[in-house]
Amino acid sequence: MKKAFLALLVLLGLASAQTQVRISGWGGTDIAIVSGLLKEVVQPKLDKEGIRVVYEPIEGDYTQWLFNALSAGTAPDLFYVDVFWSESLFATGRVAPLDPYFSKGEIAEFLPNLIQAFTYKGKLYGIPKDFNTLALQYNTDLFDEAKVAYPNQQDTWETFEAKLRQIQAKLKDVAGLCVVPDFARFGAFAFATGWKPFDEKGRTVLDQNFRRAFEWYTGLVKRGAARVAQDLGEGWTGGCLGSEKAATALEGAWIAGFLRDKAPNLPYRTTFLPLDPVTKKRGNFIFTVSWSLNAASKNKEAAVKVLKALTSPEAQQWVLERGLAIPSRKALANNPYFQRPGKEPELNRVVFQGSLGQGGYVYPFKFLSYGGDWMRPINEALQAVMTGQKGVDQALKEAQAALDRLMRK
Amino acid sequence: MSPREAARRRWARVAWIYGLLLTFGVFFVGPFLMGFLASLKPDPLEWPFTLRFAQVSPKNWAAAWRLGRAGSGDPWLGGMRPGREVVLEVAYFWPEDTPPPLEAAVPRRRPGAGMGAVFETPYAADHVRLLGPELVEKAPARLGEKEGYAYRFRLRVVYPGEGPFLERVPLDLEAPRGALYLGATLDPTRFERRGRVASWDNVVPGFVGYVFHNYVRAFREARSLETGESLFLRWTLNSFFLAAVKVITTLVFASMAGYALARLRFPGRQALFLFMLFSMMVPGQVTFISNYLVLKDGIFGLSKLFGVETLLNTYTGLILSGLVGAGAVFIMRQFFESIPREVEEAALIDGATPWQTLFRIVLPMSTPALGAVAILTFQGTWNEFFWPFVVLTSPREIYTLPLGLLSFRNAYGQVGDWGLILAGGFFSMVPVLVLFAVFQRYFVEGVSVGALKE
Repeated sequence: MKKAFLALLVLLGLASAQTQVRISGWGGTDIAIVSGLLKEVVQPKLDKEGIRVVYEPIEGDYTQWLFNALSAGTAPDLFYVDVFWSESLFATGRVAPLDPYFSKGEIAEFLPNLIQAFTYKGKLYGIPKDFNTLALQYNTDLFDEAKVAYPNQQDTWETFEAKLRQIQAKLKDVAGLCVVPDFARFGAFAFATGWKPFDEKGRTVLDQNFRRAFEWYTGLVKRGAARVAQDLGEGWTGGCLGSEKAATALEGAWIAGFLRDKAPNLPYRTTFLPLDPVTKKRGNFIFTVSWSLNAASKNKEAAVKVLKALTSPEAQQWVLERGLAIPSRKALANNPYFQRPGKEPELNRVVFQGSLGQGGYVYPFKFLSYGGDWMRPINEALQAVMTGQKGVDQALKEAQAALDRLMRK
Repeated sequence: MSPREAARRRWARVAWIYGLLLTFGVFFVGPFLMGFLASLKPDPLEWPFTLRFAQVSPKNWAAAWRLGRAGSGDPWLGGMRPGREVVLEVAYFWPEDTPPPLEAAVPRRRPGAGMGAVFETPYAADHVRLLGPELVEKAPARLGEKEGYAYRFRLRVVYPGEGPFLERVPLDLEAPRGALYLGATLDPTRFERRGRVASWDNVVPGFVGYVFHNYVRAFREARSLETGESLFLRWTLNSFFLAAVKVITTLVFASMAGYALARLRFPGRQALFLFMLFSMMVPGQVTFISNYLVLKDGIFGLSKLFGVETLLNTYTGLILSGLVGAGAVFIMRQFFESIPREVEEAALIDGATPWQTLFRIVLPMSTPALGAVAILTFQGTWNEFFWPFVVLTSPREIYTLPLGLLSFRNAYGQVGDWGLILAGGFFSMVPVLVLFAVFQRYFVEGVSVGALKE
């Protein structure tokens, strides 16, 4: 009896010595990834330190939930921050800067582009957990059938478009590419011209370079190289590729999971986006998400340990080998996974390299603290020109006026 | 008015009424039917929408049944066990005299989204052997203008030796360009690569596994990472449990409160009733933040007496915060008002206390109102989304069905896999439908009881 009592006391002592660290991210596919990662990699490591990770995925509108929880004081110790709305969150001061916890050397192990994306006013507010860029996927069957050469990384907009036109001319029922009126795709081409979303004064100028990309992208349909995705009954370029309505797609690594279900036998390959014929450069976006630390967290030391475990080389290796996400560490560039044969390793490799030198002008998918409001005028201009409602001149003039109004506020 | 004119008018009226009824019927039932049919399709977003697809053809029903039984002895859910063998036949049209070279394979395939992407289940490719395709028949055939031959091939899938039970055995069959698919024992799930590859998600589906493919997936694929149990089943049981508890508490408290408001005389009775009516007018969105904070602190710290830090993420919190609705009290009060006082006076003369009067006399007379309240409460709780969504966030095992469906949307919607979501949504509707069909009478009374006057 006494022994049992003692054992109970010991157990209680152990339980109270454990520090709990709560972490949250959005739900969906991520639940499976994070749960697996915690169970197999992170928790075994932290058990020795007496840290217990409690994972609370959030279904529904994550952004809204996070802002509410931070104001209500119920937010977890660590949480996801999407680069898209990161600046408006960092500006509130509710996220703790990570510089005191990470040495320069530790930070330098991550891809500099990604670190830059989560740096706000000189301080680092998040460690990127993974990322994506855009790449060009193409259906080799359709190119073979039309006897057209595959797209490759030397292609410029012109040679790429010529291939698409041939596809569309030879296979009547297939589009070369299906285009979407969305800056999240078109922007990569605009960047390739050397155009910057914001100049030194923080203003957006839709200059001649932007116009050149705009005319090329919106003219693809008229010149017989592409069709509008909505006209094919699809919402995104990946949908068109998966249903073989288009020969190519402009997507990131997220297309792999979709194709695995929708078209498991589709023989696709991946290459870089085409080059701007004038600058001989390409452009790209970085879509990325970080683990960030709650400024009001009661056990920051433990939380940082969890953060380090979640982004450790072993953790990223685990995620990469399962083809679940693309890691944010430089050292993994030479990982044997990327050299494996098959369509998914190739896709992941091209997407990974899209953030490096090969990517050309690469910008994170964020627009200061304007968020989606900044993209809206440009998307509307794309839509208007693609559907033939407006000419390029008028659409761009209106977009510029709308952007000026937004920035004056 | 001549008799002719009268007849004409009568027929015009009939035409109007039936026309309207038909329009409403199509308007309300149409989407319902389309939703159900789409939930059976492998690609629910198929456009243009077709009514003739593989899952509704009796030929495939029979084949799926037979293949399931051959694979595992279970004609309903199929699968494959060691020592079994299934045979599949496929026919192609091919213009040449020599048979077309076919390539068959059992691919290694795993789901691209959701929990299925993480769970490692045994791959059929590691366990089964594929024999064939072997040519069994060749016959001259015409296809439109083209002359040629119809070739029939046989494929045998054998599972030798020992091994795990396989839930599904996928199969890909690639034909050369120019060969045209004529038919197969079981129609393929989809054609890929411009019709050259016929792809079966499962050649041993069983009847339910084939026709209600998405429903089976909803139960099988969404599993708890901790325990491996089916999450969808868990959510369904959770919803049933919560609905049942809420029906009981509502019946008890609504009848007691309703009786007190209808019959007992006490100061402030009218004010209380008005206050209750007022609380019905306030939308839940107005009070949910304060309710949330109350639950977060465990009802002003009271729950700490029982060693519970917070009532968030607990059923206790969800149940306590919705013990009884003002609407239910209102219905009961109105019904009690309609019961003749003489009955209760008789009970009083016989020496019954108010409790006895309520439970022995009044309640047995109130079954219509109780039924209506029970059904409305069940339906309301079953479909309730907003409040559980605020209170229950993790772990996923405590979700109710509507929250589970939202998590489906997040997990599968982003990769365009709508079949599972549609199936889940349709399934969640079934209990309410059954309830409605069986207790229709009470539904109608539930609406009219409140308005009843002597």
